[in-house]
Amino acid sequence: MSKLALHLYINGKSHISVEAIDNLNTICQEKVPGEYELEVIDIQLDPDRAEEAGILAIPTLIRTWPLPVTRMIGALTVKSRVMAGLGLSNL
Amino acid sequence: MSIKKLQTGITAFDHISAGGLPYGRTTLISGSSGCGKTLFSAQFLAMGIQLFDQAGVFVTFEEQVEDIRINLRTLNWDIDTWEKEGKWVFVDASQKDDDSLTVGDYDLSGFQVRLERAITKCNAKRVVLDSIGSVFTQFQEMNSIRHELFKVTLALGRLDTTSIITTERTEEYGKVSRLGVEEFLTDNVIILRNVLSEEKRRRTIEILKFRGSMHEKGENLFTIHPEQAIVIIPLSAMDLKYRSSSVRVTSGVAKLDEMCGGGFYRDSIILVSGSIGAGKTLLVANFINGIQKKERCLLLAFEESREQLFRNATGWGQDFAKLEEDGQLKVVCIYPEVSSLEDHLLNIQAIVKEFKPDRIAIDSLSALSRTSTDKAFREFIIALTSFLKHQEITGMFTVTTTLLSGGTSDTEGNISPLTDTIILLRYVEMSGDMQRSLSVLKMRGSKHDSSIRGFTIDDKGINIGEPFIGVSGILTGIPLRS
Repeated sequence: MSKLALHLYINGKSHISVEAIDNLNTICQEKVPGEYELEVIDIQLDPDRAEEAGILAIPTLIRTWPLPVTRMIGALTVKSRVMAGLGLSNL
Repeated sequence: MSIKKLQTGITAFDHISAGGLPYGRTTLISGSSGCGKTLFSAQFLAMGIQLFDQAGVFVTFEEQVEDIRINLRTLNWDIDTWEKEGKWVFVDASQKDDDSLTVGDYDLSGFQVRLERAITKCNAKRVVLDSIGSVFTQFQEMNSIRHELFKVTLALGRLDTTSIITTERTEEYGKVSRLGVEEFLTDNVIILRNVLSEEKRRRTIEILKFRGSMHEKGENLFTIHPEQAIVIIPLSAMDLKYRSSSVRVTSGVAKLDEMCGGGFYRDSIILVSGSIGAGKTLLVANFINGIQKKERCLLLAFEESREQLFRNATGWGQDFAKLEEDGQLKVVCIYPEVSSLEDHLLNIQAIVKEFKPDRIAIDSLSALSRTSTDKAFREFIIALTSFLKHQEITGMFTVTTTLLSGGTSDTEGNISPLTDTIILLRYVEMSGDMQRSLSVLKMRGSKHDSSIRGFTIDDKGINIGEPFIGVSGILTGIPLRS
């Protein structure tokens, strides 16, 4: 279990949701290609998951591995901050 | 034409709001910390379940769900069963421990989806969002959050729910809310206050506005009862519509009945004013003794103990113990200081509802007035007299004057307009001798004897004598022979 595990909660096809998926994939493919697992959860299709995770803001990114669990909200537009938040800065 | 209302089931709130909260709309409840916002909101949901079988959704942005459950259980609300049966659904939107980083734009659609899902799942009719201030501490972008919350309120209306949103304010008399949420929640606003006034806490509720609808204006007192939660004492909504009885009842003293034109009216309030030892408690004892067979009298004593009262009554040839044994008398001795006036009022109402007396005597009101401000005391008396009149109970209240002869008391000045009959007991100094005098100052709706009469007290009680003739200035305390 050394792979980076990420959950991204989005709301259908709203533009900030699409933007967040694109931004996250770009960063991860560049920095940790093949070393991450990203699960995208659409709260419209799976509201129970949103309830369990206590999601308020969309998009919300949760890093479930490595611990500790960290959260980030927003469309993940600033690459350097997303990397810092995921602990990828010094790679 | 008034808009449709949803009956809340909260005691007296439906009365002051002319039917409840505006149906299908969102009402903003604003108040400082500790004013009872969360309790009011929770009560709104609890009453919905208990009285109308309407499910509710409680969204908490601040308090942890488990803490709320604990608080609700203390009020004997069966939150565990309600949750199991799907009548009460929590949406936990409280801030979690983990810090979250903000990178780029976001909206609150996650929250909105969860809220809508909770509402449709349990078919909720009532929704509470407590409290909106915490949303602004969790998320920084004031303007976009405001916009998001506006969308939430639209959704609440679309889903046919009647809802409450609570918000904090920093001052008791100032801006409605510190957050500017009233920009989009401007139609219906209720303010709860918890004001410190002369060392006493005064809780009030004010309906600031209900657009397009009738409601009572101004502040209404409320208290938080350990079993009934928020109980509002609706002063402004009290009407003077009670029936007026023309039935006379005896004062227990034949001569006094005669002076009052045939006795007191059954639903009247009699005020007995006099200095210490002037004979107030004696009149009360006679009033109690005046009850007829199968009638009941309640005595609320705020000054003397049971033993003292019973002993004094024996001294006047009356047997309180026997009356109490027969179930015709109930003596309740309370220290005025043990609770606030609002709580005294609720307590008195509870005793009256249980004992169902025909008469009530309070000895003395002055003792009660010591524990509160003038305003609160006046409100207490209004609420109490109105309550007694609705029940058609004859009430005798005593007040103590500070001067031995002449003079009036503050208490008396405050409440005499609210009473129907006033009896003055005064000492008169005549030729080096202290004599007692009695006069009927006011007898609403009837003729009465306007003379000032002397009276004596012996082991059989009170003997009312002849009018003082040829003496003037008795009530000023300086009698002069003319």
